Amino acid sequence: MPTFRPGFALPFDELREELDRVWTTLTAAPPLHGWGVRPETGAFPAVNVSESPTAVTIEAELPGLDAADVEITVHGDELVLKGSRPAEPEPTRADEAGTPAAEERVTWHRRERGCGSFERRLTLPVAVDATRVEARLVQGVLTVTCPKTAASQPQKVEVRSS
Amino acid sequence: MVTQSEPAAVRPERSLTYQPHVDIRDRGAEVVFVADMPGARAEGIDVTFEGGVLSIRADVAPRGLPGRVVRQEYGVGDYRRSFRLGDGFDAAAIAADYRRGVLTIRVPRAAAALPRKVPVAGAG
Repeated sequence: MPTFRPGFALPFDELREELDRVWTTLTAAPPLHGWGVRPETGAFPAVNVSESPTAVTIEAELPGLDAADVEITVHGDELVLKGSRPAEPEPTRADEAGTPAAEERVTWHRRERGCGSFERRLTLPVAVDATRVEARLVQGVLTVTCPKTAASQPQKVEVRSS
Repeated sequence: MVTQSEPAAVRPERSLTYQPHVDIRDRGAEVVFVADMPGARAEGIDVTFEGGVLSIRADVAPRGLPGRVVRQEYGVGDYRRSFRLGDGFDAAAIAADYRRGVLTIRVPRAAAALPRKVPVAGAG
């Protein structure tokens, strides 16, 4: 179950968010299933899944995470994605770090990016070979390739004539 | 101080277009924008500051998954978003960095726009 830390709920933030919602509707773009502050409809992370004759591929967007921040376990036809994004991923500027007075002056104009931990269980269309699963995280996009077990792959049946 | 600019500036042009989620922090000497933009390439991101408007755009190539798609919970497309900052920023010193799918933009305030403590001289 994902846990999210809500952002600051200032009146002006709510007004801005309302304007954002209207604006998004006007531009007619589909909603981004990103890592927003409030839990989005549906589970996190959102995934796209494809199936080829030999493998099942799962893709998820996890911006800001390193490969070490993601844990993937596969058992039979179940895949579990776990991980977390720290609350303060952005490094502070060296010349201002360690100056408490500077930090106190920080004003948040917008806080839409969420943080926290997540866990998502997926049931794959077929059983996969857990020993050969490969995962890559490139610029915030996680791709997990799960080769099917031999039993799950299409079998060609030879027709014998008597 | 930071307001959304006109929607016309970010209207979808060809493919799907998304607004990235952003954090905006005002640190006094600079305003820091952090945007979640997974799947872009640093060379495919344009950050411009013109007429007091900071614009972010990134072209994202479709990522074809092998085989047939059996579940689609999110779309992949370009990123567009603009913010009106107004005057008082040092456009030449704006710095942008893209790593792990996150774009960070630092917009420094112009020296003339920063608060300045004036020493008071006294005679005797």
